[in-house]
Amino acid sequence: MPDLGRKKVGIIACSGEEIPEGTVTRLAALKVLETLRPHETVTICLPLFLAGGEGDRAFARFHPTVAVDGCEKRCAARSTEIYSSKPAVSIVVHDGADATRLGTARRLTEAGMKRVNDVAEQIARHVDQLLGLKSDRRAGRALGSPESQEDSKGRQATCSCGSGIPVATLRLAGREATFVALPLIFAQFREAGKLPDDSTQAELMEAVRIYNPIADEDEASCADLILREYRAYCQRSH
Amino acid sequence: MKGKVAIVPCSGIGKSYGSVAREGAFEVTHDLCREKTRLVPLALLVLGDDEARSALAETQAITIDGCRLACAAKVVAESGGTVAHKLRVFDVFRRHRNLKPSGIAELDENGKKLARILADEIKELVEGMQGGTGGA
Repeated sequence: MPDLGRKKVGIIACSGEEIPEGTVTRLAALKVLETLRPHETVTICLPLFLAGGEGDRAFARFHPTVAVDGCEKRCAARSTEIYSSKPAVSIVVHDGADATRLGTARRLTEAGMKRVNDVAEQIARHVDQLLGLKSDRRAGRALGSPESQEDSKGRQATCSCGSGIPVATLRLAGREATFVALPLIFAQFREAGKLPDDSTQAELMEAVRIYNPIADEDEASCADLILREYRAYCQRSH
Repeated sequence: MKGKVAIVPCSGIGKSYGSVAREGAFEVTHDLCREKTRLVPLALLVLGDDEARSALAETQAITIDGCRLACAAKVVAESGGTVAHKLRVFDVFRRHRNLKPSGIAELDENGKKLARILADEIKELVEGMQGGTGGA
C-alpha cells in the first residue's frame, strides 16, 4: 500500500441546531479535533457533500470516518453514506433520556458538557481502533503517535472544506469513472521511480483499489487504462 | 408571504465564522425575532428530510454562510427553497474589522459581538420582508 500521507480519521458531526444533542456532537467533535486527537483526525462540514465538488464527496472514501449524530435521524451518517461512503462508525448522542437536562442547543448545562466529554472520549477510542493505536486512558491520549506527547493547547480545528481529495475522471468502458486519490498515487509512484510498464501495473492497481471499488468485469480494462494514464502522466512530468 | 422566515446558518465546524453564523441564528430565532423566524437545520436539508423541506416551501429563507463555499445558500436552493437574502459572515466582519472572531467551540468576545451585529442586521431584513416591526 502506498503511503499517501499519514492516514487520518474523518470526524463528521451533524451540528444540529434544534436540539441540545446537536451541540453535543459539535463540541465533542471539536474536542477530539483540537485536544484529544489533533494529529490523527480531520473534519469536513457535512453540507459540503451536497454543496461541494467531487473532491469533497471523496472525503469518506479516502478517510475512515466517524459520524456523530444528535438524534436517530442520523443526518451525518446517512448523508455521508449517500454522498460519499459508509462511515466506519456511527454514534448517536440521544440516548432516550430527557434531553432538557443537557440544556439547550445554544447553551449546554454542566450535564450537557459532561455528555460532550463522554462522547469525545468515545470518538477518540474509535479513532484509536481505526488507526490501530493503543490508548493511554488516563491521559486520554493515543500511544505510539509521534505527536502524542505534544501539548495541543491553543490548537484550533480546521476543516478540509474545499481543499478536496484529489480525484481524476477517466473514461472506462465508454463511461466516465472517478478515481479517488489517483493524482496522489501517480505522483508517489513517479517519485519512487516506478516505470510505467507491465512490471508496475499490479502494484499500481493495488494502490488504486484501496480507495476505489472496481467491479470484476472492469478489472482488466481498468488496469490497462490506469497504466496508460500513468504512462501519460510520466511523459507530461518528464 | 406565509409562515415564519426560515433562518438557515451553515454552522461550519472548521472556522470561527461558522460559529458566528450559528450564534447569530440563535440570537435571531431565540431572542430578537422569535415569533417571526424559524431556525431550519442545514443537516436535515442535506439529508432531504421532508419536514425541513416543507418548512422551506412555505416561506422565504435567509441563509448565513461562514465561508465562500456558501453551503447554506446552495443547499437551500437545492432543496427547493427561496433564498431572500444570502448573508456571509465575512461581509459583516469587513464592516467591523475591529471584531476579528476567534474560537469555534467557544467564541471569544469579538465573535459574540459580531454575532449580535449579524443578528441585528437579520432582524432588519425580517422586518422588511414582513413589512412591520420585529420583536419577540
